[in-house]
Amino acid sequence: MRKASHSSIAAFGACILGVTSVAIVVVALWTAKPVAAVVTGRVGERLIYPSPLEMLQSADGKQLFVLCNESDEVRVLDATTGAAMKSIQVGHVPRGFSLSPDGSRLFVTNSWDDTLSVIDTASLQVIATWHVGAEPSSVLEDHARRYLFVANRISNDVAVLNPQTGAEIKRLSAGRGASYMALSPDGRKLFVTHVYPNPSAYPKQPASEITVIDTQRAAVVDRMQLHSIAGVFHLAISEDGRLGVAAELHPKNLVPLAHLEHGGAFEDTLMLFGADVGNQTVEVPLDELERYAARPFGVAITPDKSRLYVSNSGSEIVTVIDLPRLLRYIHLHRAPFVQDLSASSNYVITRIHVGHDPRGLLVTRDGSKVMVANRLEDTISVIDTRTNRLSSTIQLAGPAKLSVLRYGEQTFYTARYSFQGQIGCANCHIDSTFDGLEWDLEPDGFGRDIVDNRLIEDLKGTEPYKWNGGNPNLPTECGPRTEKYFWRSANYDDLTLADLVTYMLSLPPRPNRWKLPGYELTPAQARGKVIFERTVDNFGNPIPLQNRCSYCHSGPKGTDQKSFDVGTRKPTDDMSRFDTPQLTNIALTAPYLHDGSAATLEEIWTVFNPDDKHGRTNDLTKDELNDLIEYLRTR
Amino acid sequence: MRRLRACFTILPFAVGLLFAAPRPTVPLESASVDVIVTAAPEYIPQAELRGQERFPKGAHLLLIHQGKAEPLVPEFAASADANVYFDGSRVIFAGKQKLGDPWQIWELTLKGHSLRKVVTTTADAERPLYLPAGRVVYALHTAGGFRLDSNDDGHPLSYVPLNPTTEPGELRLAYTRGSAFPDDVLQDGRILFESDYPLGDGRTAEMYLVYPDGSGVESYRCDHGVSRWGGTQLSSGDVVFTQVTGLARFTSPLAHAVRVPAPPARYAGSIAETASGDWLLSVRTAPNPHYALKLWKPGTASMETVLAERAQDLVEPVLVAPRPTPTRFPSGLHPWSYANLLALDARLSRDGVLSGIPARIRLETQNDAGKAVTMGTAPVEKDGSFFIKVPGDTPIRISLLDAQGHVLRQEHGWFWSRGGEQRICVGCHTGPERSSDNRVPEVLTHTTTPVDLTRVESTQLARPTAAGGQ
Repeated sequence: MRKASHSSIAAFGACILGVTSVAIVVVALWTAKPVAAVVTGRVGERLIYPSPLEMLQSADGKQLFVLCNESDEVRVLDATTGAAMKSIQVGHVPRGFSLSPDGSRLFVTNSWDDTLSVIDTASLQVIATWHVGAEPSSVLEDHARRYLFVANRISNDVAVLNPQTGAEIKRLSAGRGASYMALSPDGRKLFVTHVYPNPSAYPKQPASEITVIDTQRAAVVDRMQLHSIAGVFHLAISEDGRLGVAAELHPKNLVPLAHLEHGGAFEDTLMLFGADVGNQTVEVPLDELERYAARPFGVAITPDKSRLYVSNSGSEIVTVIDLPRLLRYIHLHRAPFVQDLSASSNYVITRIHVGHDPRGLLVTRDGSKVMVANRLEDTISVIDTRTNRLSSTIQLAGPAKLSVLRYGEQTFYTARYSFQGQIGCANCHIDSTFDGLEWDLEPDGFGRDIVDNRLIEDLKGTEPYKWNGGNPNLPTECGPRTEKYFWRSANYDDLTLADLVTYMLSLPPRPNRWKLPGYELTPAQARGKVIFERTVDNFGNPIPLQNRCSYCHSGPKGTDQKSFDVGTRKPTDDMSRFDTPQLTNIALTAPYLHDGSAATLEEIWTVFNPDDKHGRTNDLTKDELNDLIEYLRTR
Repeated sequence: MRRLRACFTILPFAVGLLFAAPRPTVPLESASVDVIVTAAPEYIPQAELRGQERFPKGAHLLLIHQGKAEPLVPEFAASADANVYFDGSRVIFAGKQKLGDPWQIWELTLKGHSLRKVVTTTADAERPLYLPAGRVVYALHTAGGFRLDSNDDGHPLSYVPLNPTTEPGELRLAYTRGSAFPDDVLQDGRILFESDYPLGDGRTAEMYLVYPDGSGVESYRCDHGVSRWGGTQLSSGDVVFTQVTGLARFTSPLAHAVRVPAPPARYAGSIAETASGDWLLSVRTAPNPHYALKLWKPGTASMETVLAERAQDLVEPVLVAPRPTPTRFPSGLHPWSYANLLALDARLSRDGVLSGIPARIRLETQNDAGKAVTMGTAPVEKDGSFFIKVPGDTPIRISLLDAQGHVLRQEHGWFWSRGGEQRICVGCHTGPERSSDNRVPEVLTHTTTPVDLTRVESTQLARPTAAGGQ
């Protein structure tokens, strides 16, 4: 009875509680908001966007010149209001430009037609177009106006031209993929960077350089070695000439790519040089422990040398650095700094979010603003240097619609899909090409199946992908494989993946500089073609079908899309059959073979083909091999 | 008798709810922002790390709507640990339908009030957190304490992940002998959890990270020392947590924690960040013996009370609002029972310079009784690299030995590798700030086959050997 009584009280209490609570809950209003649906609306048309890449301010500061990479033009804007004033059509795929010392002429390098446009800044007309080297990427005239220097990406050199006539005086050897230049304030020295590492065989660390040219003599006077660097972009020199800064990539291609945390694939760094750092090179990281400053590209130093701005194209930010703090940090601490991801906390002030693929930077003459060209957004972000906040955005006129190709390109260049935003496709495919590196990927085991990175131009009809031919198509290559073993983070949705693949398949082969007009062949190339297609060796013996160059490297792309054992298996390789690589622009893509073990085309046959398994070549003379190479360069 | 006990446990709570005047004093930035909080007559901070009950006198979830607090699931005998789904539509929580039940994982739709059990276990399952791609992580009570487990959330996915985090069903994530208790799911997809430091062998609360497939376990930061727990990631990416002396935070640029200059008080567990950047905190200030819910604008000197109960601790606030979905982690585990570990330079450590030259490493595991079992040794190369195959899903510890077999350095605590995991260590306790040097480790120039340490070595440490490659 007593027990029942207690139970009744309990039940009564619970009942009150329950009824009250239910009543309250019933009248409660839930305020959860639905998640907005993502509107894509991408169009299939091939639209031409301006794609601003670099900017310059006119000598009087009134005009802003914007180099538009995709629409092949220089846009002239009012520097104060951002209003469009004029468009000047230049050559194909302009990549770099600069003003003459007096500001009267604007030189533009057109990278895909190997020309240089000379624009009169008074009339805003192209007054001359000169033919220059292979893939001219930047141009600078020395202060004395004796020479015009042009960095050529494909011929890996700096052409020295007569600035009045454009006549080439000489070529200076620079780093592989020579692309960006900066003059010392006194005009005596020219510093040149390059986007592909200089040739070195795995497992050596990639090596790059800053080529230093004496502008008075037009001669290379120094090559500052940049250890373990692959991919150096813009550089800037402080107005007092005591500090140089170059934006660069520090890959981890020699360490198995097991995970991305702790800078597992890339670090994003700056190389400092000059009197301020003891006339040595000092590498400093831009990354943090959980956030990366992916792909530093543009650098700009304020006139008072208080701030350094860096555009990070993959992260879509501009990194702001306190230069005095950076120099103090370097002087007070022992190098190396690059392996400390917390180092940047000592000198990075802030990171400013800008648009898609921020590239060229410009500090206005009075130092009050920094402008950044957002290439894949057709905007220019304007940063107030007092507050280091975005003060305005200039929208360039262009297509209002977002095309599938443009969205695919944005996807290719962003780092947002990878773990902590460390890498994007363009890290290893610089400007949609390759990186000249070999990588140790995790799924095959540590130290096993080292693979050379391949060019991604003209991909259609070259499947399957991967050196083992394991991926039948690009959606597989860029979808599950990339998500799992590269990004280590959730990948694109299906539509985005489709757009990315569409973009990649749209990449044309860049003009082949070894091809004569009309596809005629030089005598050496013609002899090489005969060797490539021969069926009988130099001793009159028939060459078995599978041992002829033209058998596996058949078709318009130079691949039969099958795998073969060509005797190149290394002890660390799990398999002996490798996918037949396409020959598209093969002259550019050293090193060769699946693991990059052949530093040159010649080494493929002279070092790595002892048993003639990679085609019958051991009967060929040195001259014949040269001819074969000459022919291959036309592919 | 059981009903009687239930009655006495529930009644004080019920009375408290009905008659104790809640003291909501400030609205959140708008009255439309609802908050769910756990109310308990007694909350014992860090009890979870001892495998004990955090709410020994029961707990109930309260929904604070327009400043008024009401029970969220009054039909439950106990409820706690709310976690709102990313779209703000539902809430997952630990609940007991009847008082004698174990804590189980339940889900409530916020519209329609539909309830469903998410995970059924025989033991207590607590602190559920939503993971992306249809999974949940929670703490399962075992004989050794709490264990980090994961399971499906029971909702069919509207898409098929290219690389699912794991196969469907239950997945054990933590393999430490100590307690592991989830705190938050970070935006990069990793699970933030608290355990002891040294891991599996300590008494200081510390925060760790693990991928949702149980791989990649590591300390969030290696400036160990002060007990820290109850971490929450803010929209900025910083992680705010409680430590004995107040609040502190981890930031992406720094390798060490930074104290948060919050008003002097005792803080408890996780916080919630409002859309305007204010923090909802569980705060106890003398002479009040209970934690109240307070709103603090970082940088200011005072807090405003959102809700205080005379006889209740109010802890673990969560906002009822949509929030960004963390990134799904695609598991890359191989179908192996073992794992491969490559150390790039074992000489590197935050612990300073070694007193000798490392010649070998010794791998130990823990048996069921917690005793160390030597699995064998492997050579350390001149550049400090070594490559070993270790048993997966079991606590392991590595010691550096000199040529005479003397221990030069021993790992702090016990960590684990998932079966099928391949992992690289930059050094031995180098901290997450240390990145790798770009070079081929010497060990891989000799062999790409790891030294097999998956079987107990019969001779154990009987034969010290010289350094060098194999």
